[in-house]
Amino acid sequence: TPRHATPSIPSRTLPARQPTNVLEEARTRLHVSSVPESLPCREQEFQDIYSFVESKIIDSTGGCMYISGVPGTGKTATVHEVMRCLQHAADMDEIPPFHFIEINGMKMTDPHQAYVQILQKLTGQKATADHAAALLEKRFSNPAPRKETTVLLVDELDLLWTRKQNVMYNLFDWPTRRHARLVVLTIANTMDLPERIMINRVASRLGLTRMSFQPYSFKQLQQIIMSRLNKVKAFEEDALQLVSRKVAALSGDARRCLDICRRATEICEHSGADPSATGLVGMSHVMEALNEMFSSAYITAIKCASVQEQLFLRAVIAEFRRLGLEEATFQQVFVQHQALCRVEGLQPISVSEGLTVCQRLGACRLLLLEPSRLGVLQRVRLNVSQDDVLYALKSE
Amino acid sequence: MSKRKLKDDHLPVGDSITQVQKILRERFCHQKLPEKPEGVEAQHKHLLELLKRTAIHGESNSVLIVGPRGAGKTMLLNCVLRDLLEDKDVQKNLLQVHLNGLLQTDDRIALKEITRQLHLENAVGDKVFGSFAENLAFLLEALKKGDRSSSRPVLFVLDEFDLFAHHKNQTLLYNLFDVSQSAQAPVAVVGLTCRLDVLELLEKRVKSRFSHRQIHLLSSLTFSQYLERVRAQLSLPGSFPDSKFAQDWNGGIETLCEDKSVEEVLQRHFNSSTDFRSIQMLLMLCLSRVSVAKPTIKPADLLEASRLCLSDAKANMLHGLSILELCLIIAMKHLNDVYEGEPFNLQMVHNEFKKFLHRKSNSMYNFDQPVIMKAFEHLQQLELIRPVDGSSAKTQREYQLMRLMLDHSQIMEALQKYPQCPTDVKQWAMSAFG
Repeated sequence: TPRHATPSIPSRTLPARQPTNVLEEARTRLHVSSVPESLPCREQEFQDIYSFVESKIIDSTGGCMYISGVPGTGKTATVHEVMRCLQHAADMDEIPPFHFIEINGMKMTDPHQAYVQILQKLTGQKATADHAAALLEKRFSNPAPRKETTVLLVDELDLLWTRKQNVMYNLFDWPTRRHARLVVLTIANTMDLPERIMINRVASRLGLTRMSFQPYSFKQLQQIIMSRLNKVKAFEEDALQLVSRKVAALSGDARRCLDICRRATEICEHSGADPSATGLVGMSHVMEALNEMFSSAYITAIKCASVQEQLFLRAVIAEFRRLGLEEATFQQVFVQHQALCRVEGLQPISVSEGLTVCQRLGACRLLLLEPSRLGVLQRVRLNVSQDDVLYALKSE
Repeated sequence: MSKRKLKDDHLPVGDSITQVQKILRERFCHQKLPEKPEGVEAQHKHLLELLKRTAIHGESNSVLIVGPRGAGKTMLLNCVLRDLLEDKDVQKNLLQVHLNGLLQTDDRIALKEITRQLHLENAVGDKVFGSFAENLAFLLEALKKGDRSSSRPVLFVLDEFDLFAHHKNQTLLYNLFDVSQSAQAPVAVVGLTCRLDVLELLEKRVKSRFSHRQIHLLSSLTFSQYLERVRAQLSLPGSFPDSKFAQDWNGGIETLCEDKSVEEVLQRHFNSSTDFRSIQMLLMLCLSRVSVAKPTIKPADLLEASRLCLSDAKANMLHGLSILELCLIIAMKHLNDVYEGEPFNLQMVHNEFKKFLHRKSNSMYNFDQPVIMKAFEHLQQLELIRPVDGSSAKTQREYQLMRLMLDHSQIMEALQKYPQCPTDVKQWAMSAFG
């Protein structure tokens, strides 16, 4: 067995090619992974977290903080930036040195693995979950000379929920010990997580130091893109504004905004007649990218369905109208289907074939079906609104 | 070269037929990749560009290919990969990991498979060491150590993507998408699925990390394109050894496709579904009737194949029933007519059957209760009737409520074709109220 395997991906024979034109350059800068040195529009949050952690480090005490916000609002990035700055300050001897470790609830297979990962990152030891918990307990409750403050970032906190909540309890209880010198920063999506899933003694230990990240407004999104592009002129002003307004109206997710811009550069690159001399990304390119990423494919799927499939959808709607319900058995729909076949002048199809048509619509989730074992007795429901179906079938 | 070609020009008919069977079977059954994907040029270009950027520039990407079953999703991906790997630079650098939602049914298995296919250092040969948690930590550590410009790009292909979304916490998807959105080893995550609502299956944080790039394989095919596709599928390539035979064959296909009755049959199949697979199924049935004695496909073959494809399964089952079982089915149909689809039990069916026997003085179907019971159970085993849910274990068999799983049209059609069906039974079936 490989005892000392080093995790690594083999390296390339040639280094990756560098961007050659403006659009490629812009695309590299706009990739979500290229996080800038300082995050625009999150100065206030940065300051709050910074001063919280800094004061704890200087006082050599411990504490907890709960950070919430919908995905893509810069929570993890801001905390990382705070840590980078503090590390810099510690290197400059402005504040005492400290230790930063982070765990992520989604990156472990079981909540109890948190102990294993924390211990490994603190000391490099490998242990089972129970043993690691005991070791950590000892470490945080006993006084030790020359101990550094530890800052622990727990991302995706809600995944650490267990029935007894002992993992969360321990995480929030350690900082309250006199000798622990532990600062725990927790991140999750929902604001009311402590009230919703934590029992009282856990929630009370988490304390009231909370912070919520609001979704970005359109101005902020625009500023983010501008700062990423950093004077690379690849976008028209209006195009940027359109993207940021659209995204801000829907979710305020910065990742989405960057992805759309990146897609727009691709569309721009391909739309140009001469690929070397491409212009700026304009409104039309952005519009196309937005449509691609936000529109649902249901209507196109119905338009592209075969004749019998379209007929079946019409039969479903006809049957729903007749029953006044949103659900019918296949048998009932099939009667309508046969009638429609006759009206359309098509050869009526057999029940087996009708079932196949129905299953095909069910497989791509235009219809919701019961298990196919029920045969003609299975109930059929629409997964799209009736108006969408009618719109798709009419506009031909 | 030319001499050999001349010599090979005239194969015996048997050899040519074997060749034809081989080439066409490869096309129909082994999903041989076409030279160029038809009707999906835009999608092909989009995907090729995307994967090329990952392979050459080290840009991380994620994309979903969505389309109904049989629309050519895997074909598109394989074509793109084939074209991509023609580049020497790409060929040397790109690492591929293929996962299938039907095989990797949970994250534990998927992780082992990833480790194995990437030949990471905790895998020796085909065996992967360490626990699930260790495997995950190891893989993430490996990906984290990589960077954009120097480590080899990894292509993850997730077939049946929607099944991965049912894994616990969607850990695997979160981590793959997270790697694709952070400064780690360059990865491209390609998911293939037939569900249009696949994004609704993803958790919020997973969805946020996905780049929302979707390639839809929805193309409305017209009937003439469909005919063209059938012709292309049946035609022999120019590289066929016996060019004379190939010419004759292709000519034969040409005339076949112009035949009125063939066109009618194809129109019917086109109406029902437009995907590749159903055509190939039909053509395979035609092809299997080609032999040395009959070296061409005749319209009659296609009609026969179509008849096989379109026949009703339940009606065929009805042909194999005994008269008593058929009578019970008819009694059930009458019950359904009178009580509008309410469930019935054996007693009701038997009563209905007795009413029919009473009207006939010279009845030859006077069976005892146990015989009728047996027939009833046989029908249940064939799943022509099934118990109403919830009333299964507790009630006695005679009183168990059942539903008929047949449409009336199926019963009537089967009666017409039933070999030597007694006239009185037929009349009873036709009569409105038993």
